[in-house]
Amino acid sequence: MIIKINGIPCECEKGEFILQIARRNGIDIPTLCHHDAFAGQGSCRLCIVELVAGGRSRIVVSCVYPVDRECEIFTENERVRRQRGMILRLLEARAPESTEIRALCDKYGAPRFERFVRVDGEKCVMCGLCVKACAELSVGAISTVNRGVTKEIATPYHEPSSVCIGCGSCAHVCPTGAIEMSETRDSRRIWGKTFRLVRCSRCGAVIGTEEELAMAAERAGQEQDGLCNTCRQERIAEVFAQSYGV
Amino acid sequence: MPVSKEDIDGILKHYPREQRYSLAIMQDLQRRYNYIPREGMEALSEYLGCPLSNLYSMATFYKALSLKPKGRHIIKLCDGTACHIRGAVPLLDGLRRLLEIGEGETTEDGLFSLELVNCLGSCALAPAMVVDEAYYGNMTLEKLPGILEQYRKEASGS
Repeated sequence: MIIKINGIPCECEKGEFILQIARRNGIDIPTLCHHDAFAGQGSCRLCIVELVAGGRSRIVVSCVYPVDRECEIFTENERVRRQRGMILRLLEARAPESTEIRALCDKYGAPRFERFVRVDGEKCVMCGLCVKACAELSVGAISTVNRGVTKEIATPYHEPSSVCIGCGSCAHVCPTGAIEMSETRDSRRIWGKTFRLVRCSRCGAVIGTEEELAMAAERAGQEQDGLCNTCRQERIAEVFAQSYGV
Repeated sequence: MPVSKEDIDGILKHYPREQRYSLAIMQDLQRRYNYIPREGMEALSEYLGCPLSNLYSMATFYKALSLKPKGRHIIKLCDGTACHIRGAVPLLDGLRRLLEIGEGETTEDGLFSLELVNCLGSCALAPAMVVDEAYYGNMTLEKLPGILEQYRKEASGS
C-alpha cells in the first residue's frame, strides 16, 4: 500500500502506525512519550498529524494510529502546527522546568499563552514511560500514585523501594529528564536509595549496580563475566583470533 | 480491629492467585479493617506475585479504598448537585462542629470518619447522608446530634 506523507509517496503495510512509516521515510514528527521499545503510550499528543482520506480530514495521533487505507498525511501544515503549538505550551505549563520541552517549543515555534497556570518546579508530564520501562525491563518498583491533579510517579508509600535494583531504566527513558539520578565514583542514587556500582574488570567502565548484575545473572541462569560490552567483544575477538591463528 | 497475618491470609485464600482479583481482595481488606493495612498490601503482593507498586497505584487511585486507618463508622455526606442545592454545605459545617474534624479526617476516639462524596445516587432523598450502610434522607441540622448519639451509645454499650 502507498500513502502520501507531505506529498511524498511512502510504502507501508496495512496496520502500521503513521509515526513508524514517517520515521522510516526520514520525515520528522516530534514526540515525547514515544519510545520504540515501549510503543503505544499515546499520551503526550505531540505527534498529531492531519489525515485526509475519502474526502474527509481529521487530526489523529500518529504514534497509535494504524493506517487502514490509502490516505494523505500532513505533518507540518498550518492546522497541525497550530494545535501542536497549543499542546506544547500546555506541556510546558505542566513541566516548566524541562529543558527538553522548552527546546521543542522553540523548535516548533509554539505561540505564547499567558493564561496557563504553571506547575512550579515540575519536569514530569505523566507520560508513564518510566513505569512501563521499569515493569518490562526491571522489577516494577514505581507506578502512578493518586489521581487527577495529585497524580505522580512514585515508589509504594513514597519510601525507598525494597525491590528497586537501581538500573536507571526509568531515568534513561524519561523524555523530560524528570527522574533524578546521581552518581559518585562508586555509587548511584535513585528513588532515595543508594546502590554500589560495579566496574568492568578490564577497563574499569561502570557496568551496573550490584543488584542489577545479580538480577541479570539470575535471569541468564549463569554468572556474568564482569566485563563491559566493549571488553566482552574484544575478548571474543581474541578467542577467534587465536583459534584461527591470526 | 487488630491486624493479624492469619486474618489477612484468611481473606486472601478466598481468591485464586490471579491479578484480576486484586481489587476484590483489596475491597475485602477494606471492609474488614475499614482501611487497607500495609501488612495486607504486602501479603497481597506476595500472594498474587505482582509488584507492590501496582497495588499501591490502584489503592491510591480509588477513593473507596483507604491506606490510612478509618473510624469505626464512616459518615458519607453527599454533596452531589441535588444534595448541594438542598443544603449539604450547612450539614457539612454541622458535622464538622459536632465531630470536631474536617472532611477526610477521623475523630480522636476512632469512632467516626467524615467523607464528602459526589453523588450517592439517592437524589430523591436529598440532602442525603450515609453512615456505614444506613441511609439518612431529607437530612436537617436538627437530626444530626440524634443520629451521632445513637452510634456513640451503641459503642459505649458494647
